[in-house]
Amino acid sequence: MKGFLEGIQILDLTDEKASFCSKLLADLGARVIKIEIPGGDPSRRIGPFWGDCPNPEKSLFFYYHNTNKMGITLNLEHEEGKGIFLRLVKKADIVIETFSPGHLKRIDLGFDVLSRENPKLILVSVTGFGQNGPRSQYKSCDIVASAFGGQMYVNGSSSSPPLKAFGEQSYYTASLFAAIGILLALRKRTQSGKGEHIDISLQESVVSTLDHVMIRYFYEKVVPKRQGSLYWNNSFCILPCKDGHILFTPFQQWETLVEWMDNQGMAEDLKDEKYLEEEYRLQHVDHIIEVLKRWTKNHSTDELFEKGQLMRFSWAPVNSPEEVSHNPQLKARGFFIDVEHPELCRSIYYPGAPYKINRASIDRWERAPLIGEDNLQVYQKELGISQEELKRLASLNVI
Amino acid sequence: MDQKVLKGLRILDFTWVLAGPYATRILGDFGAEVIKIQSKKTAKGAESNLTGYFNHWNRNKRSITLDMNYPEAREIFLKLIKISDVVIENFSPRVMSNWGLDYERLKGVRSDLIMVSVSTMGQDGTWKDYVAYGPTLHALSGLTYLTSYNKDSPMGLGYAYADFISGLYAAFATLSALEYREKTGQSQYIDLSEYEAICTLLGPTFLDISQNHKQVLPYGNRSNYLSAAPYGCYKCLGTDRWCVIAVFNGEEWQSLCHILGHPDWTKDEKFSTLSKRQENAEELDGLLTHWTIQHPPEEVVDLLQEAGISAGVVQSAEDLARDPQLLARDFFIQLEHPTIGRTISDRSPIRFADDLTVGWKAGPVLGEDNRYVFIELLGLTEGEFSSLIEKGVIG
Repeated sequence: MKGFLEGIQILDLTDEKASFCSKLLADLGARVIKIEIPGGDPSRRIGPFWGDCPNPEKSLFFYYHNTNKMGITLNLEHEEGKGIFLRLVKKADIVIETFSPGHLKRIDLGFDVLSRENPKLILVSVTGFGQNGPRSQYKSCDIVASAFGGQMYVNGSSSSPPLKAFGEQSYYTASLFAAIGILLALRKRTQSGKGEHIDISLQESVVSTLDHVMIRYFYEKVVPKRQGSLYWNNSFCILPCKDGHILFTPFQQWETLVEWMDNQGMAEDLKDEKYLEEEYRLQHVDHIIEVLKRWTKNHSTDELFEKGQLMRFSWAPVNSPEEVSHNPQLKARGFFIDVEHPELCRSIYYPGAPYKINRASIDRWERAPLIGEDNLQVYQKELGISQEELKRLASLNVI
Repeated sequence: MDQKVLKGLRILDFTWVLAGPYATRILGDFGAEVIKIQSKKTAKGAESNLTGYFNHWNRNKRSITLDMNYPEAREIFLKLIKISDVVIENFSPRVMSNWGLDYERLKGVRSDLIMVSVSTMGQDGTWKDYVAYGPTLHALSGLTYLTSYNKDSPMGLGYAYADFISGLYAAFATLSALEYREKTGQSQYIDLSEYEAICTLLGPTFLDISQNHKQVLPYGNRSNYLSAAPYGCYKCLGTDRWCVIAVFNGEEWQSLCHILGHPDWTKDEKFSTLSKRQENAEELDGLLTHWTIQHPPEEVVDLLQEAGISAGVVQSAEDLARDPQLLARDFFIQLEHPTIGRTISDRSPIRFADDLTVGWKAGPVLGEDNRYVFIELLGLTEGEFSSLIEKGVIG
């Protein structure tokens, strides 16, 4: 099957903050041209690297976020570069960018200029704090978005500093919002015939996805705090096992749990009737966890997980990423896919898409572009720029 | 001009708790008619209509009641499918087929239907019936392990992040399938795995493991991959007040030393390059904390940002509610609920130049739209309607 988004043309000016957005669209079939500065996008300098050796053509970080995209180089700050960019804009549906607010305007490529060139163009801007407001010019990165967005404050233990979620989660969340925004704008465009400027803030993307945090504040005036691995409503905690840790539910199906422990002679005082009352259990959560710990330490994570799941306990081993990469369920679903890297003479194992469409996995996977890999295709074949002209532009550092 | 982007789109919302309801909330925010199917028996806990939680995740939706244990309810469901564009469900995989309502059957009723099934593990595979909530999925994916100060005491996130990611993916997939339907008229079935959804957010780590055959360990706020130092979370003046600072290059390092009143540090051999600053991060963090602890985080962050250094205040829910940036962008909105009263909710972070979100409506009361849906949309007679209520089919 062709991808859902086949035929949609995207110009991708993003750095690491939203390259995942254009990846999402590219993986579903949109034609994405990544436009990098001559020499390559700075996000190519972010690790991990293939062979652990820093090299802009070997960033695994860049690889993952730029699958199924084409790549060209272009200097947008150069007059001639701008001209070429505007020619590309004429044929594009969408431009995605992550410059600080006002930057495109300063180089005469603001939304008004772009829409004059192509009134149907949709521009998506992903920035730390959005296009307006007192902090719009502040610098951001994932840890700043996580802090200002309220995520860090509720992660970690109360006796240690707030803890950022691993990876670049604010970039991913913002990218998902931006991708949804693009599809909304495409739909609106079929009604109005006009493009849109979509404004996505990393901070707002984080605040929007905090689950109970704002609700409890607005409804109960509670300020949620970090409390280690004990979940805010005590429904989950992490306990040690013989061979690792298990994510555990201390209160779910209480009687079944106590019976299970008792069969092994390890229920201690939890058999006592007073624990049948939820209120009492909540008051004695620390003691309960101590008893549970003694029990879980006697078992392996797999044993508890497999048996627990059969009994409908929502437990799981606290997996290391190595364990995840061998997970039987992910394997059975064909989640990890092999992407060919001819330049490295091998294929690399990537996480694929999280959905099957009509019971089949997405099967079109192209590796990220090398620096300027599609310059000839785009400039010569599609824009009709001659080879001599391309040489001249390269010598001026336009491409 | 009518601003509702998704006007005319009808979504049958057979979802509960958070991942599914978040997906349909996004679509409802932009004008889709979302009809949430509930029943008296299941409207409990997170699905109890009069809680703040329900109100927050189910705004702009309609509510009807159907007890699916009755064959008549399943017949009515099929009639609803006929007049809907999309159905989204997040039951465990066997539920819809046990009711005889799997995709093939539904497509037989509505030939261009988009059906989205959101489940913890996906519709197939040996684990398909496993029970999991957000924290379970974080643990399974590696996110909990990696979001820790060290590998021996895993921490993880303090909230159900995975549900949002699944909801966002579900909304994205729905709109993509609709985009394709516009051109081809084709129906689609999307089988979204929440476990896989959260795993896509650890992509570079999985590539690192498979290619470099090494262990990736948690290091608290220190980044495994990012080239920055100082980098981390620093204690500030006040109770549980913190800031974050990220210094990416030499220029920023020099600015930081000047602000700290220690221009001489830029000459210190130990801190002369990025890799040396990373090597001596602990000492550096100590020196930096010595300064941050004397100031409120807002002051630290303003000073650093003015000098072009990435820095942030670690904000609590209370800070967020008063955050001048969020307030300047009207991030919070009010919902008038007939029973709960005036409540506060958040605007969609998908911002268009003109506000394209709908006029905000609070979460529905249980069965609020029964008359509208069953009589006006499906054309049941008053008699049929009341007899179905009496039987408990609508209930």
